[in-house]
This record gives sequence, C-alpha cells and structure tokens, in this order.
Amino acid sequence: MTLIMSCLYAFGGAFAFALVFNIPKNKLVLSAIGGLLGQLTYVIFQTIISNDVALYFLATIAISLYAEILARVTKSPTTLFLAVALIPLVPGGGVYYTMVYLLKGNIELGVTTGLHTLGISGALAMGIILVSSSFNLIRKVMIHNKRKNKATAIPYKE
Amino acid sequence: MTGSQLSHIAMEIGVTLLSNGAETYRVEESMHRICMAMGALNAEIFVVPTTIILGMTLANGDHMTRTHRIHTRGIDLMKVEFINSLSRKVCYEEMSYEEVLTELHRINSTPPYPYFLQVLALGFVAQMFTLFFGGNFEASCIGFVIGVGIKLQIDVMARFETNIFFINIVGGLIAATVALAATGLGLTSQMDAIIIGSIMTLVPGLAITNSIRDIIAGDYLAGLTKGIEALLIGTGIATGVGIPLSLLSAFVRV
Repeated sequence: MTLIMSCLYAFGGAFAFALVFNIPKNKLVLSAIGGLLGQLTYVIFQTIISNDVALYFLATIAISLYAEILARVTKSPTTLFLAVALIPLVPGGGVYYTMVYLLKGNIELGVTTGLHTLGISGALAMGIILVSSSFNLIRKVMIHNKRKNKATAIPYKE
Repeated sequence: MTGSQLSHIAMEIGVTLLSNGAETYRVEESMHRICMAMGALNAEIFVVPTTIILGMTLANGDHMTRTHRIHTRGIDLMKVEFINSLSRKVCYEEMSYEEVLTELHRINSTPPYPYFLQVLALGFVAQMFTLFFGGNFEASCIGFVIGVGIKLQIDVMARFETNIFFINIVGGLIAATVALAATGLGLTSQMDAIIIGSIMTLVPGLAITNSIRDIIAGDYLAGLTKGIEALLIGTGIATGVGIPLSLLSAFVRV
C-alpha cells in the first residue's frame, strides 16, 4: 500500500513541478504521468532486483522512453517531459544523509553513502544517454533509408 | 528579406530559447535551420549558456556576424515549446519579417501561471516529497510551509540578482532551521523526511537533464557548464542544510 501511495506522491510532486516550470496547460498531466511511471517501474522491479542502482537505471530508461515517444507524438521538445519526470528519481535523500554522516564525524559511512549517491546519479545519466542515443540512431537510419528510396525512384539517365 | 532582418529574427529566436531553458544543441539547430530556410548560403552558430555568436554568408556573397550576451536565464518551458513550433513553421512556410516579429512578440508577452499558483505549487512540491520520503501528514504540512517560504525567498533574492550558489545556501538554511525548530517544539519527530522533502524544491532538475542531453549531442562545453551549475547548486543546498544542523543541534534534542 505504501508503495502505491509513493507513486501517487511522485505524481503530485511532478505535477506541481510542471507548474513551476510553466509547462503549457494541455501537457501538465502528460508530463506528470512521467513521474508516476518512473516510481512505478522502480516499485515493480523492486520485487525482483535488490540492487537499487540498477533499479534507478531501469526507472530512468522507462521515463526516457516515455519522454522521447511523447515528444515525437506531440511534436514538442523532449526536455518538457524528461525534466519533470526525472525529479522524483533525483537522490535528494542520499545527498542529505551523506552530509549528515560527514557532519557527525562518521567519515566511513559518509563516503559510502556519497559513493552510492554518485552511483545513482551515474545510473540516471546512463539511462538518459542510452535511450536518447538509440532514438537518434533510429531517426538517422530512417532518414537515410528515405533518401535511398527516393534516389532509386528517380529513373537513371544514361 | 534583407540580411540584417534575417539575422535579427534568427537571433531573437535563439535568445528566447536559450534564456528560457532550452538545450544548447536545440538553439544551434533551430537557428541554423531558420537561416538556411530564409535564404542564407551558409550559417555558423556557436552557443554557450551565456553567449550566442552567429556568422553567416548571404546569397549576394556578403558576410555578417552578430553576437548576443545572455544576462538573465530563467525556466519557462511554455516559451520553449511555442518558439519551437514557430521555428518549425518558419522553416516550412513562407512568412514575412513583420509576421514573424508579431508572432515573437506574442510569445514573449504570454503571461505565466498566476503568482499565487506558483507559490502554492512549490509548497505542494515540498509537501508531496515529504510524504514521498516517508513523512506523515503533520510533517508534510510543515514541509508545505517551508516550500512556500523557500519560493518567496528565491524570488526576493533573484530580484536583487544574487548568485545561484548563495540563493541555494539560504534555501537549505531555511529548510533545516524550520524543520529543527518544529522538532524542538515537539510538533513532529520526522525531521529527516521534512528536510529532504523540502530541499527537493531546490533540486536543479532542468540543469541536470540539459547537461546530459548537451553532452550526448556533442556540446561538451555547454554540457559541462550546466553540469557544474547543477553540482554547485547541490553543494549549496548541502552547505545550507549543514550550517543549522551543526550549530543548532546543541539546543535541540533530535
């Protein structure tokens, strides 16, 4: 139950952030659903995978796919959906606990938490890079094929 | 359309995109496409988060260069979206100089959401993320108050053009001080959830996203700049939260 509620909270937070970023009215809900989707992926795969860096990676892949597809469909920038959906996944807790441990003089635990947070940030970056680059590749291959088909369609003059 | 009119339109579109939170490669690509669609022979555009340099060769062989320095940057994705569709339109349809200018003016004067709604939204962000990180309802209400306070603080300090590092230090300081005071008064026992939830309002989500996307697109300079901005903001928040936690924790039993 708490897991499902966390998805709803992620949706609410993302929706409010969409308002802060001044996203057009007709895309507010669409971009907030991205936040819900990320947390939902995280929660679903939590039952199978225990490593949470991998979980963050999977969640980022889900939201990047969502954002890229939606950007192609609605013909608007990908950032519109991606920036909002990414926020619930940002490791705010990790940064906070790193600082608290370091303040209390518990250097070992602080460094461990810090490295873990860094790992999560890396997973977020890698997830976005993977999906965005594959989408770019697909687009370029499609443009290339279109040109090739056009070129063969024109009768060859000898 | 004359060369100076062409470069004016391209530059206006680029400036609006860049100063409202578009990625660097999107600015370069849009400006390049507009120049080529409107009859330039060649266009070279260099964009970093603070400057745009546009150099182009016109159809009659003249060269032309224009630069623009960006002083204030904000986040307004509505303008990015509208300018994006305008530049698409400029490339595919015949539009006169005056038409594009009136359209640009209309986009630039589109009002954002009403101010009280923005303040409430940031309070709501803090409330939702306090719940998200395991706080109960009372804790989330304290989070809401902190969120509203942080929004007002950001706007006041942004009006005096304070640098972004200091804004975030003060934001973190407010969050930690209010949460500590509430714990000290016995209003809540979930200080960690409140602090984490309310510093989510300061998280540089757009800077992180744009920095990653710029680096993939090959704009390493712009990507690194944005990445460092995100890192500075994060450090600022941690510093701000750390000050009251280490100084005031002597008075408050946590």
